[in-house]
Amino acid sequence: MSAVASAERADLVGLVWTIVRTDFKVRYQGTLGGFVWALLKPLSMFAVLTWVFSHIFSADPNYGLNLLVGLFLWEFFAEGTKVGLMSLHTKGYLLAKTRFPRAVLVATSLSNPLITLTVVSAAMLTFLAVQGRLAGPLNVALYVAYVAQLALIVLGFSLATSVLFLRFRDLNQVWEVITHAGFFVAPIIYPLDIMPERLHFNLYVWPPTPVIEYSRAVLIHGRIPSLRAHLLLAAVATASLLVGCLVFRRFAPRAAENL
Amino acid sequence: MKAVVEARRLHKGFWIPSVRRSTVREHVMGFLRRRSFERLVVLDDVSLEVEAGQTLGIMGRNGSGKSTLLKILSGIYQADSGEVEIRGPITPILELGVGWNPELDAIDNTLLIGTAMGLSLREARGCIDGVLAFAGLERFANLQLKHYSSGMAARLAYSVAFAAARGVLILDEVFAVGDAAFKARCEDRYRELHRQGYTVILVSHLPSTVADFCTRAILLEGGRVAFEGRGDEVGRAYMSMLAEAPAQLPAAAGA
Repeated sequence: MSAVASAERADLVGLVWTIVRTDFKVRYQGTLGGFVWALLKPLSMFAVLTWVFSHIFSADPNYGLNLLVGLFLWEFFAEGTKVGLMSLHTKGYLLAKTRFPRAVLVATSLSNPLITLTVVSAAMLTFLAVQGRLAGPLNVALYVAYVAQLALIVLGFSLATSVLFLRFRDLNQVWEVITHAGFFVAPIIYPLDIMPERLHFNLYVWPPTPVIEYSRAVLIHGRIPSLRAHLLLAAVATASLLVGCLVFRRFAPRAAENL
Repeated sequence: MKAVVEARRLHKGFWIPSVRRSTVREHVMGFLRRRSFERLVVLDDVSLEVEAGQTLGIMGRNGSGKSTLLKILSGIYQADSGEVEIRGPITPILELGVGWNPELDAIDNTLLIGTAMGLSLREARGCIDGVLAFAGLERFANLQLKHYSSGMAARLAYSVAFAAARGVLILDEVFAVGDAAFKARCEDRYRELHRQGYTVILVSHLPSTVADFCTRAILLEGGRVAFEGRGDEVGRAYMSMLAEAPAQLPAAAGA
């Protein structure tokens, strides 16, 4: 409709940086202590789960590490989709009063979950390296690629649901129920092997499952998943992003009218 | 001279359902129940043109479509049909303010709104002192916005928007904020921007404001342009319209 001057686009960097910085500040009270405090929740969950379940799955010497990888990837997925779904609503004060590409609000909402995951991943990789268990740089690069694809899946989901939430105000509650169930569908606290083989493909349909399993394979077990497995994950990420963009394009222009 | 802001034949309406359903639950539970919809026409064939350096005034009573028109011009709402062309960047201040994050202090909010309005980070940082001084809020720079009074927040809003102004400035009830001193500063700043050649679209209920500041003005009534002319003429037309039909409620257009 109205022409957007190219000068405005160039300055998006300033907007993106300011949103990321202030979101971080609000979330963690602007201190390192606040950031560590926020890590206490997943860490305490990790401690309790390891303590309880390592007795049940005592046959697996890597249970703790597997749990750690699964838990933090899951935490990113759950937190990212939660804040992404609410992103336009949360930043409604900007949406209703100023004009800039709306997708900025959705994309930047993932910054805090992404920062947390990056810090935890760095700590985990360091730990593995110190123990001399870190496989080659290819394995690390593949892990980064899996995380990137998980981020794209979350972004696609967030693009679609952020605009839909403005029309369906209980979508966050519906999604909360799904993520609660999804925590147990994904092989986080149990090894995938305990499920019957015929169910594996169904479990892999739930996006966190392949990301968690592949990440464990390259980081902990030193195995590289098959090409077909990689293609499937890439296809899911592409499809999620595509659907997200389409839904967003359809509804975003009228988003401010539904605030 | 080529118009900087051009709106042609704008139409905008909202479907008002007899029962509002805004959740998944309500949609599922009410799946079989029929709803009727009523069409509320807010803008009905509105066209306008503002040339570079001009100030266009918009008058009209509550519900006449002023705010919706400003939101469409600002690119925040979408028109159902018609075209808007803005040649240049645009800075809107709508509904007495800009959006604040209550958890952030004045400096961070200024950076946030400034960059959202199109300033680069460097420009936004560079204008913070000026913004706080203009609003008279230097002492409260590090106070979270949730502790601000509404008057303080509104003053900060206008200061930011005046600092971020580039190209076309859209002002809703601009001179209705703050004490006499702040109003005077706003008016001075406005005159300065006008001298610098800024294009302004200004909504006001005060005939004197429109007469003083606007080269041209339009009067909206029931979503249509009822009268168009010089600022003082439109101000008089607005007053006589109120005198003729003071008790009339906001007219649903098309009625």
